[in-house]
This record gives sequence, structure tokens and C-alpha cells, in this order.
Amino acid sequence: MRTPDSPALAARALVRRRSRLLPGTLLSFTTVTHPPKGFPDRPRRIGLIELTDGQRILGMLAGNSAPKIGQVVIPRMHLSRVNPDGLRLYEVTYELTDRMAETATETKEFPGYILAFTGPSGVGKTTISLLLTKMLSDFTSNVPIVTSRAPKKGDDQEYDYVTPKEFERMEKSGALVAWAHLPSDSEERSYGYRKADILAIWEQGKLPVVVTEMQLLQGLAGYFGRRSILSFGLLPPGNSKRTMLSHLLHRLRSRGRETDAQIEERLLNAQADLDYFTRAADLFDHIIVNEDLDAVLHVIKGHVLELAKA
Amino acid sequence: MPSTHSAIVGFGMYIPQNRITVEEIAKHWGRDPKEIIGGLGVKEKAVAGADEDSFTLAFEAGRQAIETAGIRSSEISAIFAGSESHPYAVKPTSGMLAAALDLHPFSYCADLEFACKAGTAGLQIVDAFVKSGQITYGMAIGTDKAQSKPGDALEYTAAAGAAALVVGPESSEHAICRIESTLSFTTDTPDFWRTTDAPYPAHAGRFTGEPGYFLHVRQALTGILDVTKTKLSAIDHVVLHMPNAKFPSKIAKEFKISKEQMQAGFIVPQIGNTYSACSLLGLVHVLTEAKKGQKILLVSYGSGAGADAFLFEMLRDAPALPPDERPLRYISYGEYRRNTDKTAVL
Amino acid sequence: MQKDISLIGIGQTKFGEWWGKSLFTLIEEAVDSAIQSAPCSALDIDFIIVANMLAESVNGQAHLGAIASALLPHHPPALRVEAACASGSIAVHTACALLESGRAETVLVVGAEKMTDATSDEIQTALMGAADSEKDAPSGLTFPGIFGLVACRYMHEFGLTREQLNLVSARHHLNAVKNPFAQFRQEMTPEQIGASALVADPLRLLDCSPVSDGAAACILSTKHRSPIRIAASQTSTDSVSIADRPTITSFAATKDAMERALDEANVSTSDIAHLELHDCFSIASLIALEDMGFAEPGEGIRWYEEGKPMTVNASGGLKACGHPVAATGIKQIIDISKQLQASGKTIGLAHNFGGVGATCCIHILQHSPHAHT
Repeated sequence: MRTPDSPALAARALVRRRSRLLPGTLLSFTTVTHPPKGFPDRPRRIGLIELTDGQRILGMLAGNSAPKIGQVVIPRMHLSRVNPDGLRLYEVTYELTDRMAETATETKEFPGYILAFTGPSGVGKTTISLLLTKMLSDFTSNVPIVTSRAPKKGDDQEYDYVTPKEFERMEKSGALVAWAHLPSDSEERSYGYRKADILAIWEQGKLPVVVTEMQLLQGLAGYFGRRSILSFGLLPPGNSKRTMLSHLLHRLRSRGRETDAQIEERLLNAQADLDYFTRAADLFDHIIVNEDLDAVLHVIKGHVLELAKA
Repeated sequence: MPSTHSAIVGFGMYIPQNRITVEEIAKHWGRDPKEIIGGLGVKEKAVAGADEDSFTLAFEAGRQAIETAGIRSSEISAIFAGSESHPYAVKPTSGMLAAALDLHPFSYCADLEFACKAGTAGLQIVDAFVKSGQITYGMAIGTDKAQSKPGDALEYTAAAGAAALVVGPESSEHAICRIESTLSFTTDTPDFWRTTDAPYPAHAGRFTGEPGYFLHVRQALTGILDVTKTKLSAIDHVVLHMPNAKFPSKIAKEFKISKEQMQAGFIVPQIGNTYSACSLLGLVHVLTEAKKGQKILLVSYGSGAGADAFLFEMLRDAPALPPDERPLRYISYGEYRRNTDKTAVL
Repeated sequence: MQKDISLIGIGQTKFGEWWGKSLFTLIEEAVDSAIQSAPCSALDIDFIIVANMLAESVNGQAHLGAIASALLPHHPPALRVEAACASGSIAVHTACALLESGRAETVLVVGAEKMTDATSDEIQTALMGAADSEKDAPSGLTFPGIFGLVACRYMHEFGLTREQLNLVSARHHLNAVKNPFAQFRQEMTPEQIGASALVADPLRLLDCSPVSDGAAACILSTKHRSPIRIAASQTSTDSVSIADRPTITSFAATKDAMERALDEANVSTSDIAHLELHDCFSIASLIALEDMGFAEPGEGIRWYEEGKPMTVNASGGLKACGHPVAATGIKQIIDISKQLQASGKTIGLAHNFGGVGATCCIHILQHSPHAHT
């Protein structure tokens, strides 16, 4: 018989758990009088819940209120069970509140799709996105990255330069849908995407394409909902992290945009980025290794055209 | 970048929604509730469910702290979690929290134990990390699901809760409250202890008073006022570790600290003693009310023994925490035992 | 159907708590009984298909095809199929494919389950194998719990009351009084149903089909003829977890399988004289009647409030007969064949599903009383 609580299984469940830490609406509920083996032998309230990002999940219910269909529930961390070796398994439970969801949220308006490329510095995301939007100019359009940093030699029209003060004003006034401040020793860098830029592309009936990194991707997913992002993770070629990093180093040097100090810093971030792909696996729909540019473009074009048909 | 001072940029707390009254416990043991309440000054205490532990409580407090700080969780690169009831003897709560709260993968993490002052010890550590420039933002957490032997005096006060603070450079735009100064006073005093395999702590009765709590709190309190050349009359809020209501009240009387100064952080009569979370929870309560320019004094105490003292100054009016709308539920002694026994089945 | 497939042999054990019988004994009993009833001998059997869901997890036994094959003197080729509670009908469906392709001319199909060797909580864990182990099981759900969620939602959407739901199990128990193979043959009143212990609010003990041991077997052939032929065998699947469904009060797999089965047999719902549907839980009966087109959504309960010409679960269904998981699909076909031969009517339908309607398999049987071998 399977061991439902093995360490490997518990570790995999951690990735899933992250995506469940959202409030939701109760669609149905029941009390299981005798839970199955491995669970505490006490009646257990369980609900079918629609989370705010549209995903539906089954989860244990908590709290002192009585359950009602349409009730708002909020996520709480709880100890689900302890395996025979003492390993503790924590899941998200959903606490019943006294609020009912507004019926408007039951039919959430779907904003549209965004195509996102994420990957470490130097992996080639900008090249790919520029080529792709040229190839599929009828269907796609690049979203400019608003940045507070100064223009650098080698920049290729992907940025929209503003002063740090202007960036702060946009951030505070809600003009940006996602932003990140990446402090570093060499310079202060803020990046973000304008809401107006994305809406304008949707108005034209096209698919917005963003080149992004982990914080901005999280921001976009938070703003529009995970489901509206067709998310590609781009990896450098190589089987080990060392080969991948050395490949990136080569690319960054030949790009000629940065000083050695800046490159060293980018590599450090790249290390974290590579780990991020495994940790935040649920933020990516496809992971592609950028080995052969033509092959990569072919694969991505296929996915985009599928989306265009839908 | 190093800075001369660090500041609290975010704070959060989590107190379980179930309560048990001192009266309910006293009745179970056939004792006079009025006598107990009179002696301890505590009316009721917070009780965590069987499916809650120091990790889940800390997670909720940590999540709230990150929200009030208004920074991305991945900007935090250190977490120190202090508790007397870590879920494991080996497998750090801080590591589980770093993953669950989505902190930066390259983070400094470790678990702390120093009886009830493990939380404030964590605060001292992140203060130093930030000041040295080794990190930008760090988190300190005090969390406990306190255990007490059935029938023992501690049963009336040992409670559950967690408090979390996010600390950053005082120049940060999110800075709320500057950490002016901190010190610790430490001895080897056998007033309260628990071995790894023991489900409940043992304590030394009246010996926990003068040689324990009072000696160390006095030393740390006079010490910090001395070092910072501050008068108690200039302090707007005083938070002391609260094993019960009597001990901190006695210190207040001795040092002529007024009721108004103690009021905001004096939470023990309704919550009980949340051990490593206790003084930090008092501080969080103060932070939700304090105004710009006000000075806060905190002295925590951990058996074994030691006391940490802090002097804080508010850099701006504190943000309010979202209101806790959960209905409280009062439970029976039987349910209390089922939820808190370490050896009991979940 | 691409060939003329006749049902030439049937046999089953009584379903119940058989403390003295092992899985092997139950299989042997049903197989012997089926061969006895058939015009051919054991040696005519070209292939054996075994249906079983729980033998690995509960009995420590895989490889049931070979086990069953060893019961016959000539050890014919054999395999085992699994589709949770639809295993039995899927086995018949697989047999039809072998017969239509010509790889076999006479196939023995046997479904068996030995459930009572495990404790109650062990069985609930094992049965959760029919649900999604990553989406459904971690919350602590049992199968009754999943259908409790379905029932709660159904009552919310259609206003079904507890008193109305009581009628379902009460009717099934009444039907089983005349069935010597049923596990429970005593009548039960609607009040008794409603007063039984809560299992998964709003479902009570007597809303849930029992844990049973048992086996059922049938022999299908293109070589030998009988008055009962398979007019349609269709299966359809849907997502396993209810979290992945747009609605939980209607099962798309049933709708799809039904449409294709009616098409294959070239009949309509009004032609069906006898129906055996999959009432793993009382609420499932109502949803099945609606999905198959016998009632509008929310109106399935009419079949239990009013008299109707088509019989529904005349055997007593899963509730009263018992539900040794993989035996049920075959037992339903056996019961339809008996009902057709007793009434003289022409068309009967067996509806079997696995999980929460994640696999649905429907068979339509045609009875021609004057057909000869």
C-alpha cells in the first residue's frame, strides 16, 4: 500500500501549497464523520472552494462559524497529520468568515492573456521576444518595460525611461500593474509595466508580450490572475547549474552592455533565478532551453497561434 | 549598506480564537476561582487547536507582518524564530517559515531558545544584521504553544500565540519605529527548565520571583535607561514580559511606571502568557496605537535566566492592523486538554 | 456493434460479508456458476478478463488474470482491467472488443472484490484510489465525503429535501426483497433511512452502498447464440477530481456514454423497459436519471415519488444488493438479462460508473425470445 506521507511526497506538496494560500468562496461543504486512515479520528469539515484566482480546490474547513454556500473563506496554515516517523505535514485550511461573497465574483471577468518570458540575465529573452513579435506582428505586441535606470549602450527599444521620481509617482497612483525594485551596489533599478500599455494592446486585439523576472512575474500573476498568463521560463543550455551559469557568463560578456562588476552581480541573481524555476514551478506553463533559436521560436509560435485560435 | 540604526518596518500577530477561563480550569481541580484570579490577575487565556503549533502560529503572524511592511516577501533575507515549543527538536521552524513565507532563497535562518525571551533575542540579531549592512530586511518571530502540567499553577496562564517583526534600515521608506538601543543581562539561574523528552516544564515555585524575574528585569531596565541616559518619565509606553499580571505590576510599582504607560501593552489578563511571543505581542499592541515621536521601553525575561531590554522611538504614526473579526469560542477543560497535550493523538 | 455478441452464461455469488471465503473462492464460485449455466464447456473459453479494483491495496494480490486462468483446465490467456467502480462494465467492454476483432470467440468475464478483510478506515483510504490522490485525498476526504459535497450542492441548486432523498434507498430495499442474491433483503422505511447515522452530511449510513465481498461472472460469445445480445457497449471519461468540473450535480461522462449507446443500439430512452443504474450513493441515482435523459435536472426524484413504466434497479441496486466494487458492473448486466427474460420485454440498460462519474460505461441488452443457437 502506498505511503501517502513520505518525505518526497511532502516536499512536492509544498510547491502546490503555495498556490493555495488565497481566499475563496465556498461552493459546497460536508462533514466526514470518519476520516480515512492516517488522519485524526474526528469529524472533519471539508469544502469545495473557488479561490480568487479562479482555481477550484478541496480543503479542510476551520473556524467557529457555520458553513454556508457562497461564504467567503480565508487561508490558514494548519497541521494536517503526523506520519508514523514523526514527520509533520502542514496544509492550508480555510477559515469560515461571516461574510458572503458578492455574487459578481462568481462570474469573474476574464481580462485576457499575456505572454511572459522569464529567465536569468543573458539567457536571450529579449532577443526571443523581439523576434517573435516581428514574426507574429499581427497577433503580438511587446509591452515596454518602464524603468528608472539610465539608458545603456546596447539597449534595444525594450525600455521606456523615466526618472526615479516619475516611477514612484506611477507606482503610487496605480498606473503600474507590476513593479520591482532591484537594489544593487552599482545602481538603483526600478522596473514595471504600465496598465495603459497592456490595455492598449488588448484593445487592438493583440497579445501583449512581456520580458520579465521573478518579482514582476509574481506581480502580473497577482494583478491579472495566474490563468491569464501564458508563462515561458527560459533556461540556458547545460545539464548542471555550473554549465548553465558559464553559458550565461559567456553571453553576458559578449553582449558588451555591462562592466565586470555588474556581470558578477547578474550571475549571482541568475543563480537565484535558476533555483526559482523549481521553487515557483506553478508560475510557469512551459520551461524551454534556449539552445537553438529557430527551434525555440518554432515551439513558442505554436503555443501562441493555439491561443490566438481560442 | 550599513546604518547606525535599524527600524521596525512591519509587524504582525496571531492569537488563536479559542479561550479557556481560569474559572473553568479551577473548577476542574476543585479550587476557588476567585482566589486564583486574585493571585494571578489573569481571567482567561488563548488556546491553540490540536491542528495548530508554533509553526502555523508563526506563519500567520509572519504573513501579517510582511503585509503591513508593504515589501515583497523575497526582499527579506533573514529569519530567526524563537520558541519553547518548536515542532521539532531537529528540523528548524525558521527554515519551514522561510519557505512558507516565500522569503529570498538565500536567507539566514536559525531557531532560537531562551525560554520566554527567545523572540526578543531574535529581534536583537536582525537588528545587528541590518545595522551591519549584511541584510536589508530581516524577520524576528516569537511563537509558542505553551505546555503545562495538568494541575500545576502554570496551567492557568500558559497560552498560545505568535508575534512577528520585520526590521530594516531606519532610512527605509517603510520604517515605522527605530530601534534606539538594546542590551541583555544574563546569569545561570535554575528557575524553570524542560528536558528534551519531558512533555511539561518544571519550575521552582517562589524561587522564580526574586532570583528570577525581578532580579533580571530590574538589571536590564536600569541598564538601558543608564546607557541611553533616558528618564522613565520620558517613556510613553512600557512593555514588560507578563508571566502573569502580578509580576509586571510589581515592577511598575517599584519604578513608578504609571498605569497609562503600561496600558497599551498589558495583554496578559485576556490572553495569558504566550511565552516567547509574550513581550513581542505586547509590543505589537503598542505599535498599533503609538504616535510619531513617542518612546517605547520593552523588557523581556527568559528563565534560565536573562532579560533583554530595548528602547524604541516611533518614526511615524503606526498603521492599524486589519481588525480580527473571528468570533471567540470558550472551550471546556476536556477540549483544552485534548488540544494541548503533546502526547495526545491529533 | 461490429459482431453479434450473445450473453450465453451468467453466475454470481450472493454479495455480503463472507468471513470464510477468500478472493480466490469467490472468483471460483462465480466462474463455476457461469460455466454451468452456459451451453458450452469450460474448454470453449478463449480468453478470461478479470475485473478488480482493490486486490493490490487490500489483499496483497495483483496478477489476477493469471490467477483466474488457473481455475480452468486449459489455462486460457487472461488479463485484468480496472476503472474503479466501473471495472466490471469496462471488463465487458474489453471483452466485446476482443470478440469484435475476432481474437476470441468466447470470453469469460469475472468481476470480484474481497473488501471485508480490511478495517473500515483502511477501506476508506483504499477506495479513495478512485479519486485524485493529489487534489482530493490530502484534505481527508472519503468517498462518502465527495458525494456528501455533491449532495449538499444538489440540495442547494434544486431544493431537494432530506425527506425526498429518503425515498431512494427505501425503494431500493423494497425491490431487493425478492432478490436471493442481495446482501440486504429486508424492507426499510423512509423514516429509518433518514434516522440512520450521519456519514458525510447530508448523507447518512443508509444513503451509502455497503462494503461487500462478492463476485459475478458472465460468458459472451460470437460462436454460440442466446436470446440476449449486446446491442451497445460504450464508455466515456471525465476529469477525476470534482475540483476540475464546471458542475458537480451532473456527470458529463454519463451523458456522453448514454448518447453514444443509444445511437449504437438505435433506440431511444422510451424503448428501455428495465434500467439498472449505479446508485453508489442515493444522490447518484437522481443525477444518473437526469444525465441519461429520463428526467429534467432537479426532477430525478419523480422516479421515486411516482409510478413509472420503466423499472429502475428492480434488483435492489448497489444499496441493497451490496457493492463489491468490480463485481457490480457485471452483476448489473446479469440482472438486466434476467429481468428481460422474466418480463419478455426487449430492451434493457445497465449504467455503471467509476469514481465520481470519471469513467462511465453503459451496456444496452436486446432480448429476442425466439432467437436460437
